[in-house]
Amino acid sequence: MSATAPELSQSPTVAERFDEAKKKFVETRGWRRLGVVLVIYFVFLALFGALVATQKVNPLGVYNTIYHSALLSTGSIPEVILRAVPIVLAALAVSVPARAGLVNVGGEGQLIVGAVAATGVGVQLGNSVPGFVGWILMAIAGMAAGALWGGVAGLLRVVANANEAVTTLLLNFIANDVMLYLLYQPWKDPTGGGQPESRPLSSHEILPKLFGSSINLGVIIALAAVLVLWYILKRSGWGFALRVVGGNPEAARRASLPVKRLMISSMAVGGSLAGLGGMLYLAGTQLQLFPGGTATYGYIAFLAAFLGRNDPIKVTFAALLFAAIAISAPGLQLNYGLDGNVVDALLAFIVLAPLVLTSRRKGAF
Amino acid sequence: MNGFEQTLTTGIEGGTIILYPALGELIGERAGIVNLGTEGCMLGGALAAIVVGSITGSAWLGVLAGFGAGAVVGLAHALLVVKRNANQLASGLVLWFLALGLTSVLGANYVSAIVTPLPVIKVTGLGSIPWIGPIFFDHDPLVYVSYVLVAVVTWALYRTRLGLVIRATGERPEVVAVAGRRPDWIQIGAVTFGAALAGVGGAQLSVGYVGNWSDDMTNGYGFIAVAVVLFAAWRPLLVLAGSYLFGVALAAASVLEAHGVQVNQYFLDALPYLVTLLALVLLGRSGGRRAPEGLTRALTNSS
Repeated sequence: MSATAPELSQSPTVAERFDEAKKKFVETRGWRRLGVVLVIYFVFLALFGALVATQKVNPLGVYNTIYHSALLSTGSIPEVILRAVPIVLAALAVSVPARAGLVNVGGEGQLIVGAVAATGVGVQLGNSVPGFVGWILMAIAGMAAGALWGGVAGLLRVVANANEAVTTLLLNFIANDVMLYLLYQPWKDPTGGGQPESRPLSSHEILPKLFGSSINLGVIIALAAVLVLWYILKRSGWGFALRVVGGNPEAARRASLPVKRLMISSMAVGGSLAGLGGMLYLAGTQLQLFPGGTATYGYIAFLAAFLGRNDPIKVTFAALLFAAIAISAPGLQLNYGLDGNVVDALLAFIVLAPLVLTSRRKGAF
Repeated sequence: MNGFEQTLTTGIEGGTIILYPALGELIGERAGIVNLGTEGCMLGGALAAIVVGSITGSAWLGVLAGFGAGAVVGLAHALLVVKRNANQLASGLVLWFLALGLTSVLGANYVSAIVTPLPVIKVTGLGSIPWIGPIFFDHDPLVYVSYVLVAVVTWALYRTRLGLVIRATGERPEVVAVAGRRPDWIQIGAVTFGAALAGVGGAQLSVGYVGNWSDDMTNGYGFIAVAVVLFAAWRPLLVLAGSYLFGVALAAASVLEAHGVQVNQYFLDALPYLVTLLALVLLGRSGGRRAPEGLTRALTNSS
């Protein structure tokens, strides 16, 4: 995000002057900064190694497993790409409001309600309509639900001044309870052997696989969403207006931009993207709704958006990296008996590095 | 004991889980820094309390460990934000995620660990007052400590020089610097101490309320604590009230079930979050104007 607003700064303190001087020093020595980055990443990887070592597991073996499950074993690359679909879309759900200076931590809840709405529509339709009509209706339902979940947080920020980072977090837990209620009671598959699962989608509602691989239509849709969004944020009037609001809301108000409407719409658009992500993951990969299906992807997406500095293209690469690490969780569990959440620590370490390096920059992040 | 009384009694016990992190968050936010990593501090505190408690056999040493674990997470957050100018919200969330991963791995061996929970002590005299006694004075000692803590924090914030300096740091750090203090170290101190209290809240959950460790056991309570501070408009007594409101919402679920009242379980599970959200919406508007100025800059991303 570019620094659009003039800084209304007070006279600089000694610490600020020192920081300025330090920043200049670092900027003039790019290689030095690169060296610092590498050292920090090395330290964090070593810390993660120390963490697994406390569980009497060889750290090199763990890194080897991650590397193998992400790149080398058969079908691993398509698997990474499929996992990246919900992460990319939920990360865009962070990036769009971030343009307007809003912090959407509700990707998880928006993914969940998207998948829930898509399940509702999909199971209801069954075989009654042709496949592509089913996909479109499920996608609309998922996006509408996500837009509602995100838009509510935007609305509450605007009308009640309720901080959106906190409300979206609370809405995540509410979304999860809504899903659990549906899965344990009205939507429970009577033939599911008592498991809290929805009935599976009918076979022609499943997104078709492409090029004879396990890559499905959802990957293309997600990719299209990234490119369209990149264009909209860069070139459209709406994208520009969001940046003005994010840079300096007061200036935006004086330029008679509809600040409140822009804030709400950015949250709703973000939410609809995550909702679409939930739908695509459901109809492409999971094929039925079950508890914990989103596996904290909404939060991983927040980290990816941060690492990618809210630029759709960079965010996509960050999401791919995180998906690659996330899919190693079952392998680590199986091979070393490590808790699957161990990958969360690794992801957090990766994102900590830029936080440690942050200097005085402006923008939502 | 009727259901209403029981709800309030359990509500105080559960509300204390929120009260500690919320008071801690209040101190940090008064100094101008929001800590969304409160959830992570609680997780760290909850696990540390179980680990130390089960090794030493003393729940009290566990609470102390919880205090320390929370402080470590909070110190990391404070250093990132104050010394590295990291985004407050992002830093807090990353540290929560880190704590989630770390505690899952390190806690795996302690899932079945049993710690003798903190004893329930009925206060002599006060505990025998009808109605009030069982509700307020028949709990584990951490609950009583929290009563005292609310008073101490209120007094310290409004009546001592240290409190004045903390509040001034939250409003205008430059003024504090001109007055010859170090606003950066005041912020780091306030956030670290606040996070340590969040760790105690985690300990109250693990060794006070539940008695064991389970993965991700704080279940969003840390985020609720942050919300409580917002809708309590940064006033300790309202933080107390907000925490107990949450505690009662939490307790209502189990008590209603125990009395065979037919209310949907998932609605009850969602109730604490809904209540918090509602309070935030209803009270947020008036509260926003009382926000420490430095905090407003952080929360609206206009710094």
